[in-house]
Amino acid sequence: MAAKPGTASTTYSPVDPTHKTKPSIFTDSDWVRPDSRGFQQCRPAFFRTGAVNSASGSAYAEFGNTKVIVSVFGPRESKKAMMYSDVGRLNCNVSYTTFATHVRGQGSDNKEFSSMLHKALEGAIILESFPKTTVDVFALVLESGGSDLPVVISCASLALADAGIMMYDLVTSVSVSCLGKNLLIDPILEEESCQDGSLMIACMPSRYEVTQLTVTGELSAPNLSEAMQLCLDACAKLAQIMRSCLKEAASAAEE
Amino acid sequence: MVGLSEGEKEFIKGGIAQDLRSDGRKRYTYRPIYVETGVIPQANGSARVRLGATDVIASVKAELGKPSALQPDKGKVALFIDCSPTAEPTFEGRGGEELSAELSSALQRCLLGSKSGAGAGIDLSSLIVVEGKVCWDLYIDGLVISSDGNLLDALGAAIKAALSNTGIPTVHVVAGASNDEQPEVDISDEEFLHFDTSGVPVIVTLTKVGKHYIVDATSEEESQMSSAVSISINRQGHICGMTKRGGSGIDPSVILDMISVANFVSRQLIEKLDSEISAAEANEEDS
Amino acid sequence: MEFVSPEGLRLDGRRPTEMRQLRAEIGVVSKADGSAMFEMGNTKVIAAVYGPREVQNKGQQINNDHALVRCEYSMANFSTGDRVRKPKGDRRSIEISLVIRQTMEACIMTHLMPRSQIDIFVQVLQADGGTRSACINAATLALADAGIPMCDLVTSCSAGYLNSTPLLDLNYIEDSAGGADVTVGILPTLDKVTLLQMDAKLPTNIFEDVMQLATEGCKAIANYIREMLAENTKQLEFRRDS
Repeated sequence: MAAKPGTASTTYSPVDPTHKTKPSIFTDSDWVRPDSRGFQQCRPAFFRTGAVNSASGSAYAEFGNTKVIVSVFGPRESKKAMMYSDVGRLNCNVSYTTFATHVRGQGSDNKEFSSMLHKALEGAIILESFPKTTVDVFALVLESGGSDLPVVISCASLALADAGIMMYDLVTSVSVSCLGKNLLIDPILEEESCQDGSLMIACMPSRYEVTQLTVTGELSAPNLSEAMQLCLDACAKLAQIMRSCLKEAASAAEE
Repeated sequence: MVGLSEGEKEFIKGGIAQDLRSDGRKRYTYRPIYVETGVIPQANGSARVRLGATDVIASVKAELGKPSALQPDKGKVALFIDCSPTAEPTFEGRGGEELSAELSSALQRCLLGSKSGAGAGIDLSSLIVVEGKVCWDLYIDGLVISSDGNLLDALGAAIKAALSNTGIPTVHVVAGASNDEQPEVDISDEEFLHFDTSGVPVIVTLTKVGKHYIVDATSEEESQMSSAVSISINRQGHICGMTKRGGSGIDPSVILDMISVANFVSRQLIEKLDSEISAAEANEEDS
Repeated sequence: MEFVSPEGLRLDGRRPTEMRQLRAEIGVVSKADGSAMFEMGNTKVIAAVYGPREVQNKGQQINNDHALVRCEYSMANFSTGDRVRKPKGDRRSIEISLVIRQTMEACIMTHLMPRSQIDIFVQVLQADGGTRSACINAATLALADAGIPMCDLVTSCSAGYLNSTPLLDLNYIEDSAGGADVTVGILPTLDKVTLLQMDAKLPTNIFEDVMQLATEGCKAIANYIREMLAENTKQLEFRRDS
């Protein structure tokens, strides 16, 4: 998959996992981010729908080295063991490939991310529109390059839209890391590993509502409100990119 | 599972809107907190916290272990929460696992801070015995015995109380061990080190019902919530973690407002908890 | 190893026929229909009873004319000396759940509550030998607290045989010494045995002595439980009047 034009070479250069930058340099004022972005500049985002043919809807997202594929199945009949429910059910599952991280992983399910994805999406989906049925959202992180969960959430909402599931709005998600005095938006793996605090927001930009937010580590109140504003602005921009991606796909289908 | 009639639902919502809840509390009032420490003699520290009908136990066990290669100057902390079926029949078998996992990860986020260690309630470097070789592994176990809402706040308080109750034996390293050998250590039976728990944050959960939000919701009130935000705040008023539950979205300005309310409530809660913990400790020493 | 000193004292200072200190509390889980905590020395368990209520899983209902009794035993992570994180539903828990269920089923008048289900959940907070007995005693109290009709109380106690001496109410060290361990559950008023378990081996005449000792222990516990229930009823009466 091609990256957006204008970015530097996208050839994959493996980073030595043993090489660790000392956190002290992050506090320097003239310090630059490893991928030479500005502090408040997101990685170029690339989205494409319809990545999996057998699914009702699917999407692929690429933010720098973070590559995610999400497929949506359903609405289909809930399992027999489930009790009757007059609203639909949402089932989310996030898993990593064995080659997603520097150290070969187990490729196991990530339960915490699965439940976070569920919480971020359930507020946006009109569950009343498909009673007695279940929508399954399966996210697979092909490559982990930082800010995995926000990318998964955004990509999943695009896949849901592709599947034609009724939603109030697209859900977009962005995270901000706090390193010393600096706030870095859309952190990469190296930045995440030495952050002091982080904020992740998932929101519905058109409705201006937050569906999920988490704070890890210490953040002072003014820092927090600044970080929130940064995230919300970035979410709004991200939504435009996602919307244009959906429009492109729709117009391509018409032709 | 809470079964409520339409009338009861309206009663709860109406009461919250008028700042007089069904049990007579105001929106930002906690139920009485009872703390009992040293309930599990086999553990290094333990506490039982009761918030109305919510009843939880937290225990801290310390074991000698090896620090991880990435952080040779720090000890390790693991946190697990279990939901006993005594609290709710639906927790039977594997039924409680989902809630347990959710509570564990929320507490981990709220109490253990970020990867660099900032905002952590526990100073991990105080757990080191010999750098790179021997450290204390802390196992924090929480058990929900009875649940009537607001489990996260209760567990947070119980863990805080259990940590202040924790005595870690002082360790003497036997001198003369060469560099690459695992050093021999001598664990004292009499001398204990106590934790400085003044930095451990408290968790305040604000539950949004209708247009208003309340602290310390009972399970009846929780069944009517649209969303809930749990904020962990330390003594300095810094935010150490935050999670949201519940499906519906919240306006960002409401979240900022919630944070300032939580900040205000947390100061009272910390004070209350501190006096309860010291009273419980004094009580334990007397008996 | 010497479990009984020449002066006739056990490791924790008890006499061979002495029981550990008993302590019980009724109504510890306010949300449950009935609940109780039972302590025997350092062993501490909580039991909660939910029901009688509608059968949740119709497939489990075998007999339509009787109530369905279910039981789950779980151990807290911190309950043992060494911290071990066991997955739920290991063999030991399943076996004890079954033992408790069968013992309690014998005294509950299930024919009075057809098409309903009674759940007994026991949670071990601290294990120091005799958890089985403590669980049964706690469950009896919780069932009584829930107001479930029973033909009699069930009480249980264990006894062992070490250093040629019958010992009442074994603690963990004595229990793991490898000697015989007899757990008895009785219906004290009807004078019937509902539970009898033993591991290791004993000559028949000694077994009779040991079992006799355990039965005495059960009766002592029954007296204590009766006192607790009477006290609890008095308090309820007092609260109603005031």
